[in-house]
Amino acid sequence: MIFNTDVALQNAVNGLLIGGTYATVSLGFSLVWGILNIVNLAHGAFVMLGAYETYWLFTLYHVDPLASLPLTAAALFAFAYPIQRYVINLVIRASFLVTFLLTFGLELLITNIALAAWTADIRSVTTVYSGRSLLLGPVVLPLVRVATFAVAVAVAILLHLLLTRTRLGSAIRATASDQEAARLMGIPIAHVYALTFGIAAATAAIAGGLISLSFPIYPAMDAGYTFIGFVVCALGGLGSVPGALLGGVILGLLQTYTAAWLGPNYDNLVAFAVLILILLLRPAGLLGRVQRFRG
Amino acid sequence: MKRTARFSAAAAVITIAGILVWGAVGVSLGDDLLKIGAPVAATGPTAREGVLTKQGYDLWAETVNTRGGIKAGGKAYKVQIVYYDDQSKPQTSAELTERLISQDRVSFLLGPYGSPATFADEAIAEKHKMPIVITEGAADQLFQQGYKYNFGITSPASDYAAVMLKLAVALKPKPETVAIISADDLFSIEVGNAAKSWADHNGLRVVYFQKYPVGAADLSAALTSIRSQRPDVLISSGHLEDSLLVMKQAQTLDVNVKFYGFTVGPTTPDFVKALGPAAEYVFASSQWSADVTYRDGIFGSAKDYNKLFQLRYGFEPDYHAAQATAGGLALQLAIEKAGTLDPQKVRDALAGLDVMTFYGPIRFNAHGLNLSKPMVTMQIQHGRLVTVWPFDVAPAKPIYPAPAWSARR
Repeated sequence: MIFNTDVALQNAVNGLLIGGTYATVSLGFSLVWGILNIVNLAHGAFVMLGAYETYWLFTLYHVDPLASLPLTAAALFAFAYPIQRYVINLVIRASFLVTFLLTFGLELLITNIALAAWTADIRSVTTVYSGRSLLLGPVVLPLVRVATFAVAVAVAILLHLLLTRTRLGSAIRATASDQEAARLMGIPIAHVYALTFGIAAATAAIAGGLISLSFPIYPAMDAGYTFIGFVVCALGGLGSVPGALLGGVILGLLQTYTAAWLGPNYDNLVAFAVLILILLLRPAGLLGRVQRFRG
Repeated sequence: MKRTARFSAAAAVITIAGILVWGAVGVSLGDDLLKIGAPVAATGPTAREGVLTKQGYDLWAETVNTRGGIKAGGKAYKVQIVYYDDQSKPQTSAELTERLISQDRVSFLLGPYGSPATFADEAIAEKHKMPIVITEGAADQLFQQGYKYNFGITSPASDYAAVMLKLAVALKPKPETVAIISADDLFSIEVGNAAKSWADHNGLRVVYFQKYPVGAADLSAALTSIRSQRPDVLISSGHLEDSLLVMKQAQTLDVNVKFYGFTVGPTTPDFVKALGPAAEYVFASSQWSADVTYRDGIFGSAKDYNKLFQLRYGFEPDYHAAQATAGGLALQLAIEKAGTLDPQKVRDALAGLDVMTFYGPIRFNAHGLNLSKPMVTMQIQHGRLVTVWPFDVAPAKPIYPAPAWSARR
């Protein structure tokens, strides 16, 4: 165990920065779970696709990874909308297990196509500014990670505004709270569901683009990120943007401090002990409301 | 809606079936066939290394088959390798090994990628008394089970650490402190422990010694701790994905050491491609390099093998591919020496094997371990891997100490 204030401070920065990435990964997962009541096991695969799209745009056409984010997001929206509209919508009223299996199949399909198309090579987006960092007294601020965090917060704020301040947001929330009433009000349910799913995939794509800047990417990277989405949702609460942000940052800080104080091998052990504790004390997550049971 | 569910289930089944059988070396009908099984990862955390392993096996099989096959007892056998994807999971690898033996009726086994999978598979091979040539498993534990049918052609795990530290202490200014970080898997832990023990016995002070989970997403906390200890040497024992992460985060967190040493990663082509200039000055232990001076009657010299591989796949082989090919070659030489496909006799021939190959000398001790081949240390210089240790075979001099990150722009 190594303890001094400089290290503790640096780890606060490390935890916060990785927490921002976790939050971006989880936003869409939380949205789909909270509103569509689908645990989307293909969410990590969307993150992976976003990472690869950023990688290819950068490698083939020299598009800056941060500049290509809107394009990547739009592409994944276009990819995911029909999946929800014409595939998942068909079984959305079936039992939870059916959608669970369907998204699992999607995940297998997407990652194996990615594996066939792009091979198992481990890649990385390395820009001229990738390795740069700012020295702030004893603390190192990796530039890319700071930019990633800023984008993460911006995406969270935009999504929150979209959900709370727009007609589309009202429609999405109305559909979530009472599907029948929403239908009677003339809200096109299937369309709204597909839009929600598409928006979730777009945020996943942004997460993937951001991840490709700091971490190695490969087709099988998806499972780890689906898992993070799961944990962050359980920590922060479902379907809530502030919940995903809070959950992401808590998970990031917990893992970082555990790794620093007990050793990197224990970070998940402690993170999950805390997760179980929260599930026992606040089953709906820190910021979640207890959900109405939907049969 | 039922139809959709059924469709997705069918799609999943087809995908799984597709990835299970991911290719076999084509053999024309009518030849006498020798079926050899190999459960090698095509997916999962060690997929990249698995693909290199398969390419090494394939190159051996193709070379043997164009030369007329393996000769035994007056017959020539064309080699057919049956592959399954073990998904980088030891449990799956063991199940597939069982299947290769009992359903596909293979005659011999070539090992999977990685010590954990090898550990699982060799137990199955032992149960069926089937020889397995281990090509990508170097953990010492693999050879401490009292098994009689496992033969590993690589130098043992402890050599990975020693070969880099021996070089490090031969450099000026002589390093005094070392930080050791290893992935929490059988092989990487053994390397980490061996590094610590070597350092302790040779006057290097170990200032950081930790494990991290396999496939960790973030190692910034560990690197922050290492940074505060200011070690001269960093020994990182993990696999490619981990090595990339350690190096990327060392750069962004401004962790400056004089000697960056990695066990697995830098020798695979992806490392330089993924890191660009940040890969410069990195040292790596390697089982083999094209600079070594060994040769054999089938593949020629190490340089000839290098050329052949490049011709076939379009890039230079690293040691993963070379030792896979060498494993096939060892099996071939043992079968030809035994003059039969009888597993017991081939096992005995393997046990008594004493041959020189392009990969190095192969001679197994009583535990099935090849102690006769030395390892080398390589360094990335100007984007290329060059052998820098041992000094007598090395075409290049090591560059040391590595400049600080702030001085590299």
